Amino acid sequence: MKTITIEGLIKNNRISTQDLLQEIQEKINEGYTNFEINACGQHDIGGSSWAKDPNESLTFKITNPGQRVGAMARKGTKIYVNGSTPADVGWLNSGAEIIVNGDCGDTAAHCAASGHIYVSGRVGTRSGALMKYDPKFPVPEFWVLKNTGSYSFEFMSGGIAVVCGFDCSDIESVLGKRACVGMVGGTIYFRGNVKDIASCVEIKELSQEDIDFLTAGMDKFLSAIDKRGLKDTLLNFNEWKKITPLPPDKKINKISVSDFHKNDWIEGGIFGDFIDDDYKVYPLATTGEGRLQEPIWDSSKCINCKLCINNCPQNAIKEDYSIDENKCIGCAFCATVCPKNAWEMKNNKKEIS
Amino acid sequence: MATVKVNQLHLDDLPWIVEYDEAKCIQCGKCVATCSFKAIKPAIEQRKVSGSITEKNKIEKRIVIKQNISFSEYCRGCGMCTRVCPNGALKITKNNDSRLSVRYRAEKGESIKKGGRSNLNTEGRTLDKIKVGRISQMTDPSLDAVRHTFELKTPLGRVLSADKLNFEIKNDEIISNTKLPPNRWIYPIIIGDMSIGAVSWRMWEAMAIATAYLNEVMGIPVRMCTGEGGIPSKLLKSKYVKYMILQIASGHFGWNRIIDAMPDMVEDPAGILIKIGQGAKPGDGGMLMANKVAKYIQEIRGVPKADLLSPPNHQGLYSIEESVQKMFLSMNAAFNFKVPVAIKVAASATSVSVYNNLLRDPYNIVGGFFLDGLAAGTGAAYEISLNHTGHPITSKLRDCYLAAVHQGRQGEIPIFAGGGLGQTGSFAADAFKLICLGANGVFTGRLLLEIAGCIGNDLDKCNACNTGLCPAGIASQDICLTKRLDIDKVAQNLVNFFIATDFELRKLMAATGCSSLPIGRSDALITVDKNVADRLDIQYVC
Repeated sequence: MKTITIEGLIKNNRISTQDLLQEIQEKINEGYTNFEINACGQHDIGGSSWAKDPNESLTFKITNPGQRVGAMARKGTKIYVNGSTPADVGWLNSGAEIIVNGDCGDTAAHCAASGHIYVSGRVGTRSGALMKYDPKFPVPEFWVLKNTGSYSFEFMSGGIAVVCGFDCSDIESVLGKRACVGMVGGTIYFRGNVKDIASCVEIKELSQEDIDFLTAGMDKFLSAIDKRGLKDTLLNFNEWKKITPLPPDKKINKISVSDFHKNDWIEGGIFGDFIDDDYKVYPLATTGEGRLQEPIWDSSKCINCKLCINNCPQNAIKEDYSIDENKCIGCAFCATVCPKNAWEMKNNKKEIS
Repeated sequence: MATVKVNQLHLDDLPWIVEYDEAKCIQCGKCVATCSFKAIKPAIEQRKVSGSITEKNKIEKRIVIKQNISFSEYCRGCGMCTRVCPNGALKITKNNDSRLSVRYRAEKGESIKKGGRSNLNTEGRTLDKIKVGRISQMTDPSLDAVRHTFELKTPLGRVLSADKLNFEIKNDEIISNTKLPPNRWIYPIIIGDMSIGAVSWRMWEAMAIATAYLNEVMGIPVRMCTGEGGIPSKLLKSKYVKYMILQIASGHFGWNRIIDAMPDMVEDPAGILIKIGQGAKPGDGGMLMANKVAKYIQEIRGVPKADLLSPPNHQGLYSIEESVQKMFLSMNAAFNFKVPVAIKVAASATSVSVYNNLLRDPYNIVGGFFLDGLAAGTGAAYEISLNHTGHPITSKLRDCYLAAVHQGRQGEIPIFAGGGLGQTGSFAADAFKLICLGANGVFTGRLLLEIAGCIGNDLDKCNACNTGLCPAGIASQDICLTKRLDIDKVAQNLVNFFIATDFELRKLMAATGCSSLPIGRSDALITVDKNVADRLDIQYVC
């Protein structure tokens, strides 16, 4: 294993990100696999440096990096940052193990799709956003010892995040404000208070499977960040819960308006003391009490010609010229064909009372 | 043979022609049974059986469907008959040669009354010439309408400027020594004021149920203005009254019941709206024709069965200052200064003066300014008012807002704009544009009727709300017609419409990078019409 130390600051002159990354790539091509980078805020260290042999491992020990440490890193890459990092640690992580011995800036683990990211401090806003899981690759894990900033885990669609809430007892929400907006997949384990979580997720108790996962993972995590002593404090599972997205069918868990009307609305309706409404709905052309007009027969004018009976489209006029109200729609055909005006159409306007 | 005279009303005078295809008709009678206007009737026509000139004519009598020719019972173009006809034997076409408006006046010596909306539609819509053109891409946060959180709330109530607030520090705590006027944070769309009477009891209750559902189940804090036709005591005494903005107009209908219910009210109402005028018929008061004054309306309004013509003004209010002193003060006092009191006027050339004057309100009791534009709807109006009076909402809202801006007082008295919103099918866009032009929120009434099934349009279709013969059972008090309306279906449709609109507002807010309402953010708007750009002070683009 060939080791090399690369300086990001030479004689008080800062090396550009391009020069530093190109130097790393040259050294990889020369067969170096083990890097100590004393950076001066250069971006993208450790991630976009590709080993020649895909099965080969690259190791980076980094101090004082810029943004996007370990961004786009492949499996086999190991990154250890001594100290805190700015934004986008592990952006698009595709299999690397990234350990930050300090805090991370915003959007840590953004779009991470595989690998492990271990943070021994806090992470900033929108951390864990858009994490995803491709079943052909190992599930991404994102472990944070303390808490996240606001809008954490937005649009998360896969993977596992663990927020241990250490040293956070006075914090309102270890996931910040408005966490999990748009989350559709994955699991977040957390310890401590949360508040203001998006409505598309649910908070649940841990299962035995969850406890087994956390117990096994915690060992690895605490070893990675060299805090084995916290194991007992953190493995009190009464203090843990998990967040998963609501299944799609649960999201539309609203009562219908008609059930609301039936069960929650003012009994008898707001007009109940004026109007006796059965809430029945009449079709446009209808029989019975819903007819706009009804025919009234004057026996004294009738000459028994039966034109009305024969022309009634609904067969609603009986032999004795009485009306079958269940058939009559009030079309006035009877009144039209009657040669003697024995039928009169009367408005069927009942006053509401 | 019947004689025909030239001055007799003829089919060609009517606004709509019912075309009848005898070959398709199976004579089921459903069209006649359905027509609430009695615009069609069965009739007997004679047909010559043989066309031969050598045979003696044989005549046969048939039943056909004929259009009624009458000044009262004529076709309004609603098309309900075409819906029930199983064979498509009827077709309604607009008669561009109609002379009914002349013939009616000539025959009756009276002005024509209508419902619905203006039927000239000559102005075109300014809002359709405006686009939301400032898209947030790399300049400010781009947002996701589906998943991000948006604050769609606006104040109803007087907002005091900072210099009017008097704080002191007592025991390390900030104490306010100012009596703060009541303020409610509500959804920026208010269900507009349609009275019990103008609409059927089922329509009104459906709106109230939808409002309650949107609040209680969906968490969308929509408020509904009652209109001035009385309010059922059961609603006043229920917890749902907190979602209601009670209206007082010049008729003062039903306020005795409100006063009577006061001791039993478990919640304060959301607000009070003093209606001075309305956009559809500025200068006119409310109008409810006798045929709609059903028994329960008589009770709830305290009136006999008669044409109810509210005065065009509030008697006893002679100036803006006096209105503030008397009307605002009384309405504030009625609820112990705990309920915001707003005012509604028709948009007019004078609106800015009124708003400026209200801004000087020394008592902090003016809690909102509702401006109603000319494309608004109404249950009944004189056609002359409906078609020829009024002022478009867009520039008037802008003028009022900018008048406040120039005094550094925008937002102190929230402005709500309405009048024909959603006319071209884009309610959320209309609302968003008006908000960007300075409205705190919008209100809509007529659109809700369309959601419920109203078939009227801006080209003279139906608009017979004044007759009480609404074929959809919305603007009627007739039991047979009202029962055509499915209260649950209407309430559900209203709820659905609000959910869809809420999403569309978020879509526009997301695109412009706003997570809270962009009130006055006219930089978000552009237009290719230079005149509109100049008049509204928004960006001209081409």
